[in-house]
Amino acid sequence: MPEHRSPEATLQVSNVTKRFGDFTAVEDLSFEVRAGRVFGFLGPNGAGKTTTIRMIVGITAPDAGSIKLFGEGMSYKLQNRIGYLPEERGLYKKMKVVDQLRYFAELKGVERRVADQRIDFWLERMDLAEWKPKKTTDLSKGMQQKIQFISTVLHDPDLLILDEPFSGLDPINVEFLIEVISEFKTQDKTIIFSTHQMESAERLCNDILLINKSRKVIGGSLREVKESYGTNLIAFRGTGAEKVLSDGSLVQKVVSHSDEQELHLANGTLPQDLLRTLIESGAEVTKFEVTEPSLNDIFIERVTNA
Amino acid sequence: MRKFLSIVRHEFKKIVLKWSFLISTLLFPVLAAILAMIPLIIFSLRGEPTQIAVADPTGNILPRLRSNLSAERLMEKARQAAGEQFKDFSGSQERAMQNDAAMFMESIVLVPYDTTGKTVDQSRTDLLAKIKADEVDAYLIVPQSLDQQFEFRSRKGGDFVTNDTFTDALNAAVRSQRLAEANISEERLTELSAKVKIDAKGIDETGAERDTTGTLIAAFAIGLMIYVTLAIYGQVIMGAVVEEKETRIAEILFSSARPFELMFGKLVGVGLAGLTQLSIWLTSAVVILGVAASQTDLGPILGLAPKITPFMLILFLIFFLLGFFIYASIFALIGSMVTSMQEGSQFAFPPVLIMLAGFYFSFAVVRDPNSTLSVFVSIAPFLAPITMPVRILAEMPPYWQIGLSILVNVATIAGLVWVTARVYRVGMLMYGKRATIPEVWKWVRHA
Repeated sequence: MPEHRSPEATLQVSNVTKRFGDFTAVEDLSFEVRAGRVFGFLGPNGAGKTTTIRMIVGITAPDAGSIKLFGEGMSYKLQNRIGYLPEERGLYKKMKVVDQLRYFAELKGVERRVADQRIDFWLERMDLAEWKPKKTTDLSKGMQQKIQFISTVLHDPDLLILDEPFSGLDPINVEFLIEVISEFKTQDKTIIFSTHQMESAERLCNDILLINKSRKVIGGSLREVKESYGTNLIAFRGTGAEKVLSDGSLVQKVVSHSDEQELHLANGTLPQDLLRTLIESGAEVTKFEVTEPSLNDIFIERVTNA
Repeated sequence: MRKFLSIVRHEFKKIVLKWSFLISTLLFPVLAAILAMIPLIIFSLRGEPTQIAVADPTGNILPRLRSNLSAERLMEKARQAAGEQFKDFSGSQERAMQNDAAMFMESIVLVPYDTTGKTVDQSRTDLLAKIKADEVDAYLIVPQSLDQQFEFRSRKGGDFVTNDTFTDALNAAVRSQRLAEANISEERLTELSAKVKIDAKGIDETGAERDTTGTLIAAFAIGLMIYVTLAIYGQVIMGAVVEEKETRIAEILFSSARPFELMFGKLVGVGLAGLTQLSIWLTSAVVILGVAASQTDLGPILGLAPKITPFMLILFLIFFLLGFFIYASIFALIGSMVTSMQEGSQFAFPPVLIMLAGFYFSFAVVRDPNSTLSVFVSIAPFLAPITMPVRILAEMPPYWQIGLSILVNVATIAGLVWVTARVYRVGMLMYGKRATIPEVWKWVRHA
């Protein structure tokens, strides 16, 4: 099935720049997305995510640099292999669910007969079968979101681009969608997942790319990125430790959470050194755990310090 | 190409499968048919005959009145009246008139009332009593001298058709009695008072006769029909564009097909829907008028209608399509610039004004189809789609002018579609604020 499968990446973005008049939306951006992996495309609002995605799906063209998809330059023909769920999305208000889905499938080059089968399959899976002949205006927001998701996958795309797919969904449907996305992953499809919700990115993504102010900030596998941030974080709970924790040569920063504290170790301090000092000082330690930085932390640090 | 056809079908179905389309398409002819039929139905309903008691102490008026109300005389009168307007009658019209005459005759029954030995007051009291007792519906008291007042009282005061017929017959009866008293025969009088006959007809360049009244009406009708259809479907296009922009469907569409395909598919789909509606209307108009003509005496009026050849129909179709693509691309352009339908309606004003100007120029074109102004407006872009069909109907212009007009407007469409496609590509993905004219101009140059 995946005849496009090659040692090369599914998507190669090389030195891409896009300007709108004096404003540079994307500057010299390069990254690769590999098949069978979920690629987290992260960044604050206005960082250039939507512009980049629009170039990938062929809505606009880069001013400089190149985009290669499935080893080819971008063309309208390739659009049929992409499923794109934009962040800002909608449905025809007064049209029946089944008619809209048919139209979107036809626009991706799916034959009517095949489209009808897949529509039934997906509506069934999404628990929306009874809504097939209803109009958009009869559907709840969450249902509309699910219909929009169906319209992105009806043509069985090899590359799935999901921009904030969970917004407006309740936790049950979020779980359900994550399950569906995971299925695509096992089918060796490529998934680009753009979001602000770092928790879900952390859960789903194999690779991430963080961009800010039109430029790449960090990129790589989630593992690598986190490791590059070191293991200088300690989740701490205890009493009588104030004196030790205020020692700047050991602890650089203390962030208080509701029932525990996050300790940022000073350069050169090892976790066991701190723990020993704490115990020797007579503090009562109930929790002491070396933690990785969360994606959220990395995001906030890189974006605010930029 | 397959995607393009999908887009066309989608846009077409979106309009045609709506209730509003079905209702307006079907209701319009049905309403027209009902409006045409109502008078026929009403006049074919026969009421109870009106019983009129006639108190005629002179004894001269009643027999004349009776003869004037006979079927033959009514028929003759109707033929005279019609003959002043129309030259010849078809068999069906002749029959229709006979029916009418018979109907009037049957609707009036004259009841003689014996006045011997009664004063006028006595007769009146007696007759009023008869009306009260429902023996008669009305009475007529003929005075002793014809110069005095006749007295007519009726319970059916509102039945103007019967009243008119009756009054006419009475007038004629009195007149012929007076003539008889003056020793002049009725025939002689008719001869003397015959109307002057004027044969008024327009002629075209070749001197062939043609009637102008029908042409005038038909020219306005075609101008109005094209203007209204263009205005309606222009708004439809704008609505469809704004919906896709407002709901952000455009983003999905643009990731599936070329913007040009999407825009042009929309124009073609909506255009086909408009053409469907227009042809249903035209067909039903022809059918309704045909049926009406065979059923009623409208026939002679229809006979005045200009001869529309298949060649002219093809030209009308061409100019309708030219107009459609010109205005539809303007409305699509506006739709992709604005953020809501309300905003769009403000911007829709200029193109509607141009269309309206085209319609108003039709007046000048009908009055003088070959004036410099008429030639100019029937070739000018934007105006020609409305004015040229009017001119063709008024008088077939030289073919080179028609050709030039088509050429000019096709070129206009090419330019407009090119501009619109560029604005559409950018505008459809611009959310939040309305694009300014300088911005739009930039998109056109750089897109």
